[in-house]
Amino acid sequence: MSEGLAEGVGVARAHQFETVAQQRQAATLGIWAWLITELLLFSALFLVALITRIEHPEATVAAARHLKFWIGATNTVVLLCSSLTMSMAIEFSRMGWQRAMVRALLATAALGSLFLVLKAYEYYADWEEHMMPFLAHRPFALEETPAARLFVNLYYVATGLHALHLFTGIALLLGMTWMAAKAGFLARHQNWIEVYGLYWHFIDLVWILAFPILYVVNRGP
Amino acid sequence: MKSPLARLSPGDRALLWRHLRTPVLTFLALLGLLGVIVALGATQPFAQAWIVELAVVALMVALILLVSMEVRREPPLIRLFSGIGFFWVCIMIGMTLTDYLAR
Repeated sequence: MSEGLAEGVGVARAHQFETVAQQRQAATLGIWAWLITELLLFSALFLVALITRIEHPEATVAAARHLKFWIGATNTVVLLCSSLTMSMAIEFSRMGWQRAMVRALLATAALGSLFLVLKAYEYYADWEEHMMPFLAHRPFALEETPAARLFVNLYYVATGLHALHLFTGIALLLGMTWMAAKAGFLARHQNWIEVYGLYWHFIDLVWILAFPILYVVNRGP
Repeated sequence: MKSPLARLSPGDRALLWRHLRTPVLTFLALLGLLGVIVALGATQPFAQAWIVELAVVALMVALILLVSMEVRREPPLIRLFSGIGFFWVCIMIGMTLTDYLAR
């Protein structure tokens, strides 16, 4: 959205667009097209989790109770905080407060990195508990309930894919922050911050679906 | 050393609050809703808690889409595009569950 932009903040029109408003809309539409494909990818994984629960309820509950509920909850709070700092960066960019925007972008990257560190620790704790059924040399803790493998493998695919998106997002964010710190950035490319913000909020949205579907709902009988 | 907030003029502070009010209130609402999910997940007070949990998740997703991602302020074409994604997800989940739940 372009309303409420401070003086000197805007977008340099590329020659293929008739107006800056058209250019802004094209960029937003483009990122939404990408986000929809991502939504379908993750939704298919969450649907498989649901089917695993319907087909193998006992095994799925046994596997879900091994997941690190409190680390998952803490990570959700971390991502919500990162969404707040991303929204702040967008607002600072609209206000033309470049320094504050750069700091908010760096805070977002730091919170994203904290999420990955906690996720790595969670995987390590899973490894310690023999909850990695795909490792041939390490016996699986729930060997007596073979269907639990399905849910645990799905958990790794879904959370691993989300972590990959987050890692890529942090790398892109740091690259963009480096460019955004230069003089004149907000006069030419303010909408980059808005478009990137949509991607970051979407990563947050995927985790907000993943946490209850994988960690919470299956804890109950 | 004065904090950056204290160095702002009253006008700038008002401008800052006007811009940050919605993100901060959205964050607090999301945090509260997450608290409900975590409390239900940790205590499992009744067998149908999953229904409440999923309803709260739907509310959180709607908040992020409409407020954080500003879909409500976008032009109709972009609103349609973002809605279509969720429409396809509903078709995929609906048709698949029709099979599994009818077996």
